[in-house]
Amino acid sequence: MTDDDFALVLDGNAAAGALREVFAADITTAEIQCDTCGGTGAVGGLRYYAAPMGVVLRCTNCAAILLRAVRTPHGRWLEMRGAHCMRLAQD
Amino acid sequence: MTAIEPQAIQDRRLGWRRAKVRQVIVETSRVKSLLLDVAGWPGHLPGQHVDVRLTDKDGYQAQRSYSIASPAEESWVALTVERVENGEVSPYLVDEIRMDDQFELRGPIGGYFVWTAAMGGPLCLIAAGSGIAPLMAMLRHRDRQSAGVPSVLLYSARSIEDAIYGKELAAMARRDPDLRVVGALTRQQPEGWTGYRRRVDKSMLADACFPAARTPRIYVCGPTPFVEDVSSFLEELGHNASMIKTERFGPSGGPA
Repeated sequence: MTDDDFALVLDGNAAAGALREVFAADITTAEIQCDTCGGTGAVGGLRYYAAPMGVVLRCTNCAAILLRAVRTPHGRWLEMRGAHCMRLAQD
Repeated sequence: MTAIEPQAIQDRRLGWRRAKVRQVIVETSRVKSLLLDVAGWPGHLPGQHVDVRLTDKDGYQAQRSYSIASPAEESWVALTVERVENGEVSPYLVDEIRMDDQFELRGPIGGYFVWTAAMGGPLCLIAAGSGIAPLMAMLRHRDRQSAGVPSVLLYSARSIEDAIYGKELAAMARRDPDLRVVGALTRQQPEGWTGYRRRVDKSMLADACFPAARTPRIYVCGPTPFVEDVSSFLEELGHNASMIKTERFGPSGGPA
C-alpha cells in the first residue's frame, strides 16, 4: 500500500493553490524533467495525487514522484528528489 | 478591449480575499452561478480557478476549488457550482447562500489550463456537465474579443435540462460563424433534438473536432473517467498530448 491509495487523482493545475503556499510564483506553467525517465512536462499537466497531507506530483510518463509538498505542524516540507530540473518561463 | 498581462496577474501574492455575492443565477436544478464582487480582485485569465474556504462558527474550515466562468473582461467573478450530495461546500453555495452573503476565496490560480484570444486557434473545447464552467470563461472572452478564432465546443450533458448556459451558447453560436456548438445528450433528448444521443466517443470526436493536421488547442474538462476517455481517444486520433490540456473533477464536484 502506498500513500497514494486514498488520494484523489487530479491534474497538476489543480494543485496551483497549494503550490503557491510554497513557491512565490505560479509554477503550473513551469516544466519539470523527470530524473527517472528523462521525460519533460508542464507541472499543470502532471498527475496530482491530492493526499490529505499535501501535494504529490508524479511523472505522466513513468509515474515516478517528482514533487512532494507537505504541510505539518512543524512547518512545510518540499521534496523534489525525483526531479532532475525545473524550468520556469521567462518573465 | 481590456489588455491581459498574465505575468502581472501571476506574480501577485496569493492571499485570502472577501467575496460578496452580487447575484445568484439558477442554471439547472442542481447548478447555480454566483456572481461575486471580490475585494482587490486583480483580474484573471480564462480557465483559471479559485479556492473557496468556508469557516463554521467552531472554526472548522472546508476548502474546495471552483473554476471561474466569467470572462476576463469583467471586474466581477462568476463561479458555477454544482450541488454534490453530502458535500461540505457545494450544498451551502447552491442552497443556502443569498445576495450580499460573504465568504473567503483565493485566486486567480493556475496559469496552465488557460486560453486567451492571443494564443489563437483553432480552439477545441470538450466538456461534460459542470466541466463547461472554465471553458465558458474562454468562450465568453473569445466572444468579447471578436477575434474570429475558429472554435468548436462539444458539450455532453444528461438531458437538455441539465445543460448549463444553453441559451447563451445557442445565441453565441448563432451570431458567430466561426463558432460551432455541438451537444451530446446522453440520457434524455427533447423532441426534435438533432445533436448526438450518446456519450462522447472516438467517432464523435473525429467528426466534431478539428483534425490533428490543423493542430488545434484542446481543452477537456469534466469528471475523471470522461477526461481520461476523451484524452485517449484524442491521442488515438493523432492529436499531440502537448496540445491537450485537461482538468479533472474530483468527487467534490469542483474542479479545479
